[in-house]
Amino acid sequence: MKEQESTPGLPLIKPSPAAADKIIPLHGRAKQPPPTAAEQTQAPSLWYALHLPQLAELTDKLQQQYLEQLAQLATGVSSSVSFHCCSLVFEVRSSLRYFGGINALHGLLAPRIVKQLQDWNLEPRFRYAASPTVTGSLLLARGDRNLLVHRRDNLRSALGRLSTDVLELNREERRRLYNMGVRRLQDLWRLPTDGLRKRFGSSFVNQLQRALGERPEPQRYYQPPPAFSSSYDLLCEVENVQLLLPVLEEFLAQLVDFLRRRDLSTSRLVVSLIHERQSCTSITMGLRQPSRCRQHLLQLLEIHFNNLAVPAPVIALKMQVVRFDAYLGQSGELLHDSGKTSAGSRRLDLFMEQLQARIGEEPVRKIASVAEHCPEYATSQQDPLLAARRAADHPCTDNPRPLWLLPEPQVLKVCNGKLYHHESLRILSGPERIETRWWSGTDVRRDYYVAQEDNGSRLWIYREKTGDRCWFLHGIFA
Amino acid sequence: MIKPPCCSYIKSPMTTINETHGEFTKTSKTKAYRDEAIGELLTRNPVLWRGCDMSGLGNYGQPTGYPQLDDILPGRGWPHNAIVEIVSQQWGMGELQLLVPLMREIVRQDKWILWISPPYLLNSPALLQAGIDPEQILVINLNTSCKDALWSMEKALQTGSCGLVLAWQNWLPDRVVRRLQLAAETGKTLGVLFQHRISKYSQSFLRLEVKKRNNKKQQRRIGKRCERDQLAANWVETRQGDYCHKTEIVVLKARGNFRPLSVQLNLYPENLPHQQPDRYNNP
Repeated sequence: MKEQESTPGLPLIKPSPAAADKIIPLHGRAKQPPPTAAEQTQAPSLWYALHLPQLAELTDKLQQQYLEQLAQLATGVSSSVSFHCCSLVFEVRSSLRYFGGINALHGLLAPRIVKQLQDWNLEPRFRYAASPTVTGSLLLARGDRNLLVHRRDNLRSALGRLSTDVLELNREERRRLYNMGVRRLQDLWRLPTDGLRKRFGSSFVNQLQRALGERPEPQRYYQPPPAFSSSYDLLCEVENVQLLLPVLEEFLAQLVDFLRRRDLSTSRLVVSLIHERQSCTSITMGLRQPSRCRQHLLQLLEIHFNNLAVPAPVIALKMQVVRFDAYLGQSGELLHDSGKTSAGSRRLDLFMEQLQARIGEEPVRKIASVAEHCPEYATSQQDPLLAARRAADHPCTDNPRPLWLLPEPQVLKVCNGKLYHHESLRILSGPERIETRWWSGTDVRRDYYVAQEDNGSRLWIYREKTGDRCWFLHGIFA
Repeated sequence: MIKPPCCSYIKSPMTTINETHGEFTKTSKTKAYRDEAIGELLTRNPVLWRGCDMSGLGNYGQPTGYPQLDDILPGRGWPHNAIVEIVSQQWGMGELQLLVPLMREIVRQDKWILWISPPYLLNSPALLQAGIDPEQILVINLNTSCKDALWSMEKALQTGSCGLVLAWQNWLPDRVVRRLQLAAETGKTLGVLFQHRISKYSQSFLRLEVKKRNNKKQQRRIGKRCERDQLAANWVETRQGDYCHKTEIVVLKARGNFRPLSVQLNLYPENLPHQQPDRYNNP
């Protein structure tokens, strides 16, 4: 990697006093109109461009991901970072004094970027340049000049040395430029703008004008993903977790404020209770529907805390948001009927959240029916959070089926030619033969009967066709 | 003019009725009107009842699907916002069959049914056969602790998020049932508690017992002459020559009802397919 000081061949244009960049006339009597958008973008700024040609071989998605990670590094020195093709551009003038000049800033950033590139198994090289315009910096970086241009007046000569390859042109345009005898950008400076516009279109001319700072360059800046984390050190050790609720209430107030400002909501939070000399207790709070209602979140947290046992006194608290979601407002219903059902489902959602907060997600299950002959496999228990998926209406058998199935078939006693469960059984109907699952290794060959027990309950029993031909109780009609 | 029935009657029914009594006994027309008004009030309002036999009066209940059972229940059906205790010696005496018409109605209204710690696994084909959509059912597993199960039941009743809450517990103390009863009144939801035994002074709205019809007691009471009739009544011969056993439902307690009542119902479907019971009677 080349440092600009160590390459005497490269033109290094020394910075001039900032006041010389632009002279604002001050007329005592005439009121100055407010600066227009164009003037504001022309305010002295220095754009640092980072060009990584090795990213071009990667997929768009990976490229975007890598650039975003580099942008997170860049946010350490600049607040306005923008993405370009295989490049990042960020403003550094505002932070020059803090970091002690452009060289110090580059010295800070370069090793981090090289390390990041090594982590991704990419060639640890990058091109860079800094100039008062975004497009200018990009072109300079693409030209592999590693230049620093402080003044806008010097841009024309600095850019002039670049080959025309740095411009974003298609093959045909490139060929035409070559045929016109244009090899470097300085050849373009000599040509009339109108003629160029006619031949190559206005976007080509705009690009050149932007590079020279004659045209505003609106940018879309990188927005770092939202992150919320709040912690609080308690004044003394607390054993009763109920006493922590006021602190959490304060956290939630901050969180709701944070979410409202960014128009977000959350569906997963982690609250960590930190103990001394022990790993912390963390509570993961999942919501069925994203929310940012303070009351609702607090209610759920209270339920979580109600049946929480901590192994040691708590010394600090921390709250973190794991997942952010877009905020969807609840709109009122025009007709009463439709409003009723949506309010009902909302109530059920709230109840399910509370239920899962209290007893966990495992024990709450939804029933679904499966097209299967074997009674054990005809019912499936699903996670209720899964979207309600309507099973295809498979034909249901007409043969009697009990409402309850035993988890494991229970062997029935046979005594004096009579079947016994609690009391003696009387077979009412049957048999219904079920032969299935021969492909799975557990061959099912059974004759099912409906039986009446002497105490009044109706049972579903079967006799195995294979093995010992034992009688089993499998279901209760209840 | 007499005032139409309003809230003041409910607050102090006795005094209001007494006042009007003195005033309007003169003409039969006003008397008829008064009786009608009181009658309407008594049939519509489950909070108000006469201090006498109330079974089968009023129409504020949800029909059970068994007309004979409706006849002995106050309000002619299941209450809307209350706890019903169903007692049976063991699970599966027919207590679920008793609730199948109600569950069908609740699923039809697009409401959910919450099953809290049922003793066995639910069988989805049977639910489909009974006309209950299994997608509308939520189950809380059996291995949930009693405390959590009761908490879930109370919350479900309070929030009114489910149409019906069913819970299985061996036995619950009075104050727990009382608390659940209050929760049911708050959320206007029907909760059903299945128990093996109950305390005598439970606060629930309705207490039923499901049992096999006891032959010996009945015979002793009625005498030997009716013995044959009793046996015949106990085993009802159906069309295909099958014998269906009748289950006895006893109203142990109902609000506004003093007399213990019972009814015999045929809970299970009678037409069983391909019946060859005799051939397979001897295993």
